[in-house]
Amino acid sequence: MSAGTLAAARQSGWGWLLPAIGLTLLLSALHLSTGARPTPLPVLFDALTAFDPANFDQRILLSLRLPRLCAALLSGAAIGVAGLLLQSLLRNPLAEPHILGLNAGASLAVVIATTLPAALQPVGLARPLLAALGGALVFSAVFALSSAGRLGLTMAKLTFCGIALSALASALVSAILILDQETLEAVRFWLVGDLAGASWREVNAALAPAALATSATLMIAPRLDAMALGDASATGLGVSVRTTRLIGLGAAALLSGAAVSMVGPIGFVGLIVPGLAFRLAGGRHLPALALSAIGGATLLIAADLMARSLIASHEIATGIMTALIGAPVFLAIVARRVK
Amino acid sequence: MTAAAYRRFRLGPVSLRFHARRAALCIALTLLLIALAFAALVTGSGDAGLADALAFLTRPAETGHSIVGDIRAPRIAMALACGAMLGLSGAALQTLTRNGLADPGLLGVREGASLAVITLMLSSPSAPLLLRPLAGMAGGLIVALIAMVIARSLSRLRFILVGIGLSWFLSAVISMILVTADIDSVQAAMVWMAGSLSGTQPGMLPPAFACLFVGSSLLVLTMRSAEVSLLGETAAIGLGMRVVRFRMAAIAASVLMTAAAASCAGSLGFVGLLAPHLTRFLVGGGQAALLAGSAILGAGLVLLADTIGRTLFAPVQIPAGIVLSVLGVVLLCMLLWQRRNQI
Repeated sequence: MSAGTLAAARQSGWGWLLPAIGLTLLLSALHLSTGARPTPLPVLFDALTAFDPANFDQRILLSLRLPRLCAALLSGAAIGVAGLLLQSLLRNPLAEPHILGLNAGASLAVVIATTLPAALQPVGLARPLLAALGGALVFSAVFALSSAGRLGLTMAKLTFCGIALSALASALVSAILILDQETLEAVRFWLVGDLAGASWREVNAALAPAALATSATLMIAPRLDAMALGDASATGLGVSVRTTRLIGLGAAALLSGAAVSMVGPIGFVGLIVPGLAFRLAGGRHLPALALSAIGGATLLIAADLMARSLIASHEIATGIMTALIGAPVFLAIVARRVK
Repeated sequence: MTAAAYRRFRLGPVSLRFHARRAALCIALTLLLIALAFAALVTGSGDAGLADALAFLTRPAETGHSIVGDIRAPRIAMALACGAMLGLSGAALQTLTRNGLADPGLLGVREGASLAVITLMLSSPSAPLLLRPLAGMAGGLIVALIAMVIARSLSRLRFILVGIGLSWFLSAVISMILVTADIDSVQAAMVWMAGSLSGTQPGMLPPAFACLFVGSSLLVLTMRSAEVSLLGETAAIGLGMRVVRFRMAAIAASVLMTAAAASCAGSLGFVGLLAPHLTRFLVGGGQAALLAGSAILGAGLVLLADTIGRTLFAPVQIPAGIVLSVLGVVLLCMLLWQRRNQI
């Protein structure tokens, strides 16, 4: 690729895609090979082409590290896209699944379902859908409460309502967990956003909702560009604002539900990535969505790597790591953008 | 509000002006609080009832060791002290920031105090108990200063959002410390962190009440300035008030009391938000009524939440903090609804 075409690609917003994919692949390789028992990459190649059940290294890779990597990639991408959708649709740089109560609602739904008798436990596809439903319910309450009033949906009101209802949902989760020891055992690690428990079963279950939400997002991506001009201009350009917003918010709920069902409530990835991706993509939504997905995946893998290797012999939950990086970003946005 | 509703009380050189109906209401609330404390003293999962409580209250020296005297009484006293401190600091912060959404728990002060106390507990487990509130205060004060520097303004919503961001960051740091520290010392820290009053040690009572005394005296002394400061900074300066000095006193008092409550009882959220608003609703009136009412109602709220938490699902205990946040969020949503045209 010559310098001229590269510059042209940059201008159209797609130029950063290749470097981002390269970075993701590099980090994925690093993610697969680091751990308590370092495994060189050729082992992965062997495991995929000529699987040998007796080989210990190959089994570690296929049954522990690969599902963990896939869960991180898939949920990071889902959170990134959900964050961009929320920020564009609500025109609010602080909109993020964690802050707006989607994660807390999803956790509450999953925890309530876990207390049910074994026959009623959500298995397979039901788990991500249930998480999405819980997230959507809490988010609808946040949305309704913050849209009230003469000024409509302001940044401060939305953020504050999200924080308030998240606090309610997490207080209920703690109360349930204190009362029910078995549920506590079942969800303890999942609840702090720990990727260590990720397994193929959860990744497979989350694939279908994530794919559905992604196709819905791709469908409305061109309309998002028009909506960035304001509701009135978008309506003038022939975009049905209400339908687009409904589809977009539904997709965001599905995506964050899928992510929560895999890796637990991980915050702040959707705050850090989309703003950056949108700027790099030159303000166009289709490339920005692609960049957000890849960026979210990259950030989550990086956070997971740091969580596993920062302090030797101790594994920090990945959600703590993303909060450590994300809270300063939140502070920076608040200090700059909130009146 | 008419001048006729105020009475004057004179005793030698001391003269006090008070509002008859509000003073009567405050006294009634205090009596209610005493009744609640007595009810809390006789209920619980242990088999100690009315007779034991009466024996403890009338002849404390003779009863020796008992459930009422050794477990319930210190716990109730701690609940009262922490609740009063949190209610008072919430009232002070709401006046100071002129923002009804301010709550010491939302400003990161609590997490700052927790971080300092945990660091102290893990680095030198043998340090005396008395050092804990001091460390907590230092941590809380530093976080409050950082929040002020980042937000550059006290009276805007930005200050509160900055506080929330800081508290997220600090809780991530706390979790990281807890994960990496030695498991034996973490156990002690976890018990303390849970925000339950069940771990109350009688040794922590004197510092808690001392902090309550210092903080509330500071607030009572600056009561009139607080009233004036509600008119806005320009008007307050124009009326001859020393705004900076008042702010320093109010911040110091509320950080002192929040940090002391956090180091004694862990995280008890939303009391500072609930108590002043309940006071405005029930009692009304100026700063004097606000402070008195917030202290009484804050103490009552924490005591009620703790008693509900330890009796509702007995023998399992729900930490008072959880009961409080369920109550508090409902109120917060109502407040947001009320202010829907302003923010």
